[in-house]
Amino acid sequence: MKSSEIIDRLSELFPGDIVGEQLVNGNEIYLDVKKERLAAICTHLSRELAHPLISLFGNDERELTGNFSLYYVFGMREKGLLLTLKTAVDPLKGSFPSIAESVPGAGSYEREIQDLYGLTPLGHPNPKPLVFHGNWPEGEYPLRKEFPIAKRPPFVDREPVFERIEGEGIYEIPVGPVHAGIIEPGHFRFSVAGEPIINLEAQLYYVHKGIEKLAEGAGLEKTLFTSERISGDESFANSLAYCQAVEKIGEIVVPKRARYTRVIFAELERLTSHLGDLGGICVDVAYGFAAFQFRMMRVWAYLIADKLCGVRFLRNVNRLGGCRKDFLAGKEKVIIADLKKLEKELRETVEIIKAKSMFIDRVESTGILKKEIAVDLNAVGPGGRASGIRYDVRKAYPYEAYADLDFAVPEHNNGDVNCRMNTKLEECFASINLMIQAIEGIPEGKMAGPLGDLPPYQFAFGLTESPRGENIHWVMTGAGNTIFRYKIRTPSFCNWPALCHAVKGNIVPDFPLINKSFNLSYAGNDL
Amino acid sequence: MYKMLKKIIQYPRLTLPYPKEPMDSSLFVGKPEIDYNKCDHCGSCVSGCPSGAIAVDQNKLILGINLDQCIFCALCEEVCPKGAVKMTQEFELAVTNRADLRVTKESPAVSPLVNTDYRAVCAAIQEKIRKAYGRSLFIREIDSGSCNGCDYEVNGLNNPLNDLERFGMQFVASPRHADLLLVTGAVTRNMELALLKTYQATPEPKLVVAIGACALSGGIFRDTYATGNGVDYILPVDVYVPGCPPRPQAILYGILKALNKADR
Repeated sequence: MKSSEIIDRLSELFPGDIVGEQLVNGNEIYLDVKKERLAAICTHLSRELAHPLISLFGNDERELTGNFSLYYVFGMREKGLLLTLKTAVDPLKGSFPSIAESVPGAGSYEREIQDLYGLTPLGHPNPKPLVFHGNWPEGEYPLRKEFPIAKRPPFVDREPVFERIEGEGIYEIPVGPVHAGIIEPGHFRFSVAGEPIINLEAQLYYVHKGIEKLAEGAGLEKTLFTSERISGDESFANSLAYCQAVEKIGEIVVPKRARYTRVIFAELERLTSHLGDLGGICVDVAYGFAAFQFRMMRVWAYLIADKLCGVRFLRNVNRLGGCRKDFLAGKEKVIIADLKKLEKELRETVEIIKAKSMFIDRVESTGILKKEIAVDLNAVGPGGRASGIRYDVRKAYPYEAYADLDFAVPEHNNGDVNCRMNTKLEECFASINLMIQAIEGIPEGKMAGPLGDLPPYQFAFGLTESPRGENIHWVMTGAGNTIFRYKIRTPSFCNWPALCHAVKGNIVPDFPLINKSFNLSYAGNDL
Repeated sequence: MYKMLKKIIQYPRLTLPYPKEPMDSSLFVGKPEIDYNKCDHCGSCVSGCPSGAIAVDQNKLILGINLDQCIFCALCEEVCPKGAVKMTQEFELAVTNRADLRVTKESPAVSPLVNTDYRAVCAAIQEKIRKAYGRSLFIREIDSGSCNGCDYEVNGLNNPLNDLERFGMQFVASPRHADLLLVTGAVTRNMELALLKTYQATPEPKLVVAIGACALSGGIFRDTYATGNGVDYILPVDVYVPGCPPRPQAILYGILKALNKADR
């Protein structure tokens, strides 16, 4: 179905409610809709047509149009299209209708908009603050243009509110923000009856650094380096999504050699990340031998990164328009030999751990994420694929050289730790295979296309499949090669609420294991 | 079981000899250096630097690179028309005095949450610390708002190649058991209190090692509404480890430096 047919059908169903339409960058449809009818159209898209809400964000466009704008992005995955509903919010009224009752995934986005823009989602089922903790004063909204970035408002002291589960024998376990392991900070509030977890509420945003505000008004190149630092182990996927958005706006043609190089780095990042997660799963069930094996293989993956670019986190590789230099030339044979050695070791290790019934007993039927919940919350990446969602950005919205390469997306249904582990294992093999295919098929050529001046107030999405899943960045340019708005939505933002559901009914000691099987990024969520 | 034993025999020992023997750093992207014989002070590196680490004087002459702010992106090397900037392979960059990393002075702000004189207390007990710990050191890591890159590298200290425990050092689960705090991240507003409480929960004598550009100066996240500009904005810091992120060996070098054992 073409984009024009989709617009026609929606106009028929909602006559007079769609007041403007625009198709940009080949697959991005933007529809201006009346605020009053927004909830009905969103519900139709999400419930009847089963298009998930994949991002929802505000934009302070008062200097352009006099209003705030809200963008509701739906993924039409089987058609490779992105449908965005745009609506204006009058700054004098400062409120908009919440759609969280009918589209559950919208709840966190609306709370984020409330905190950062000071716009109220009317009828929100749980409108408590998301980004700001008790120390932030009321009436300060950092993503409004008049808020200076370096302003540090005085600290106030408000008690955070948590959901209370009451009943005989139910008690709470508060954990964090500083955890026992070497991980990022976040606060978990468990409500427990005996051993099973009745409810888990995660208070995140401890590492909120104001990245989206930092990008506003900043140069395009500086923001590339900021995007590399959104989440350390997803440096490449994030900077790639950013580059894609800017390249679409500037209509920059990325040379084929650079596109293949990007695939190699993106898959190396996935491999490194998954090996770390698999090692973590083994640590959390006290399976020392296997953990050692995966850690050793992860070190090998880091050595490949060192050989390619000298930076273990694959930074300093992307540039707007391509890559910074030819990282692969002359190293093809060495890298392929390393990959084959890693693949052999991985295969032998998998054989050993799969034969270990005590290990399989721990991971099987632990931490089940039901498919209905995964769909409602738009769980993405291995977390979603393990619960029966057949979706991978590399297939649905092919980017760089993925359309030329052959790979399968793992299919699992049970949604437990075992399925997530198997998904990651299969993806490790697929990544190694993709890298070898890309190295063997890489054409000669330049490493970057020319970058000219970008037109102001143009916008585009960048979509990548990071190791954790679907990663969406939206860039709107400002005057003089700067950024007007940079919205980042990493996979962790969608998967954190899913994790909170997956732990319910499990015993507290299984929480670290379930958490590790998702391995979500705090930095990528908190921004 | 047989296959498992085979693997254990296949990989008996992977641990690197560093720091007993020097590390082969030929692949590393390390400290940037400016060759002033080639530099004509054109300023392309200054305007391009994403973290504003390259300092100039009032006549726009380049003074050098503030390594505590540097994110090691190598852009200065790339944009320099004269080829005056080079990324070296040097990775052992940790220092005990942050001023040693800078060519210009930093005017430190102080967090509104701090009202105690930790600095004075810490200076007085420095000598005691070295005597007290001997060979065994318990470490607590705390992320005060990093991108998680530094945390993965701290985790890397535990991998089979670096095997921190061979030094008698070990990561512990609570600050109450710790002698040394490894702090990553720019100190976000939401983590200030938690960081301060963690520090207070650590028994005296204690050491603080700041890791990575963010923890040293705020790095690329300097001066936003949600971040402080580094750890010494809120705590006294004993050793500063530059990098974005620093490699596990660079962190190890910093820890050893904190113990004043690096020179042995």
